[in-house]
Amino acid sequence: MRRAMTQTTIETKAASGRYAGVRTAVGGWAGSALYTIAAVVFLLFVWEVLVRLYDAPIWLVPKPSDFLPRFFVDLPLIAGHAWSTSVTLFLGFVAAIAVSVPLAWTIVSFGVLERGLYPIIVFLNIMPKTVIGPILIVWFGIGPLVSVVIVFLMCFFPILVDSMSGFRSVDRRLFYITRSMGARPWQELWHVRLPASATYIFAGMKIGIVKATEGVIIAEFIASDRGLGFMIMNASSFMDLTLLFSGLIAAAIVALIFNALVLTAERLAMPWAR
Amino acid sequence: MSAPAIDTALSPVGLGKTRAEDARAVRATGASITARGLTKVYGAGDRAVHALGPIDLDIRAGEFVSLIGPSGCGKSTTMLLVAGLEPLTEGTLAVDDAPLTKPLSDVGIVFQDHLLLDFRTALKNVLFQQEIRGSDRSEAVERARHLFAKLGLEGAEKRYPWQLSGGMKQRVSIARALVHDPSMLLMDEPFGALDAITRTQIRHDLEALWLESRKTVLFITHSIEQAVGLSDRVLVMSSSPGRIVDEVAIDLPRPRPAHLGDHPEFAGYASRIYATFEKLGVYRFSK
Repeated sequence: MRRAMTQTTIETKAASGRYAGVRTAVGGWAGSALYTIAAVVFLLFVWEVLVRLYDAPIWLVPKPSDFLPRFFVDLPLIAGHAWSTSVTLFLGFVAAIAVSVPLAWTIVSFGVLERGLYPIIVFLNIMPKTVIGPILIVWFGIGPLVSVVIVFLMCFFPILVDSMSGFRSVDRRLFYITRSMGARPWQELWHVRLPASATYIFAGMKIGIVKATEGVIIAEFIASDRGLGFMIMNASSFMDLTLLFSGLIAAAIVALIFNALVLTAERLAMPWAR
Repeated sequence: MSAPAIDTALSPVGLGKTRAEDARAVRATGASITARGLTKVYGAGDRAVHALGPIDLDIRAGEFVSLIGPSGCGKSTTMLLVAGLEPLTEGTLAVDDAPLTKPLSDVGIVFQDHLLLDFRTALKNVLFQQEIRGSDRSEAVERARHLFAKLGLEGAEKRYPWQLSGGMKQRVSIARALVHDPSMLLMDEPFGALDAITRTQIRHDLEALWLESRKTVLFITHSIEQAVGLSDRVLVMSSSPGRIVDEVAIDLPRPRPAHLGDHPEFAGYASRIYATFEKLGVYRFSK
């Protein structure tokens, strides 16, 4: 009787949950996309009207009708720089993950390392990373490598710190159980620690990618010969405000895409999450 | 109730065993635990904490023994020592007459918290045991399903821990500890985080499982009701350092009822343990 009841309750819950999920997914997603597009169009319209009304000169505040066409006219230019920025972002971000996650595990595994390195990590994490830019220019010269290194540093620390929290979050009594199963250290890492810290690692990645998209543009301002940051800086020195504004939008689009990629990766990597 | 009566009370084991095999399973049982002068001191020098002992343990194969006592009396330490998961400071400890030198592997462990892996479904959490041990998959699946049925977990196989109630999570945790058919089950406050109704139900389900296979169980608890309701023998411990101060053999028929208070003997056992606690100063009631 008790069992039958439990089962029915679960099934009812599952059924309503499933349909509720489908409903929110369809209505919510399409709905919010529609609202967003409407809001953006409205904003651009107000912008256009205000600039026309006050007759602001194009070299001061360009109208959407001035800078949006640049996307078509100068598509190869903007897309090329956007691509270059994306490659820089990708390389720096992936390198940061590849180094910080194993490093976090190593630090958490050895108490001595943790006590010795943690203050240094906290210091480096707080330090503004862009100040390294000029030093990197001296070391590597002007070029995308400096930007990659700055992106790396930008997202390295949030991922490292969050991964460490993740690796530490596993209840040590669980390892009593795995040891009684005869689990080897690599099995504990692969089957327990890594998946158990996935939430934390992705939380670090989500902070990291936001910092990285900020950092990559600044890095390209100061030390690159390509990329959106470089293009925007160039446009600024030529007072090409329409290109400047389209560059701004392109940078936002790149940031959006990378954010979406991280969120998608999280959903794919953690199918168990709510 | 005598042994044959228990045998008839048993439901079929369900793994294709015959009645005779069942009976043998009831006899062929768990591991024995023998400890002499078992002592555990954490740390060293000025900061050393004498957590346990010296204590002696003689737990027979297939016996259900509870350790009861106030917080910090070394119950959990005793369990970790018996599992070979913490090195002992002094004394000797043998499981099935073999001195313990490394973590015991023929064992299932349940803690107060379910400690399930969030990223695995209930069934996969149980089969984790098999995956690490590298034992036969289909046999483990079959046993897991049997345990799910016995523990009232049907339909929960594919649910993730966050989709399960506290009681169900702890049931899954018990199934994980039993899926490899260990000869010893170590439980540290396994029902401590559950509500009273769930606790009584799980106590009954655990007893039914134990009656089915008669594995050695070392059960750690704060609750006199659980200790008396489940055990063949209750060891009462005092704290700092942990020592065994009383031993109560519980001679009540099995399976034991939901409401133990109806048994006059239960009240007797319970009062004896309460009296020991009062003598130890565990309770400070004004008279």
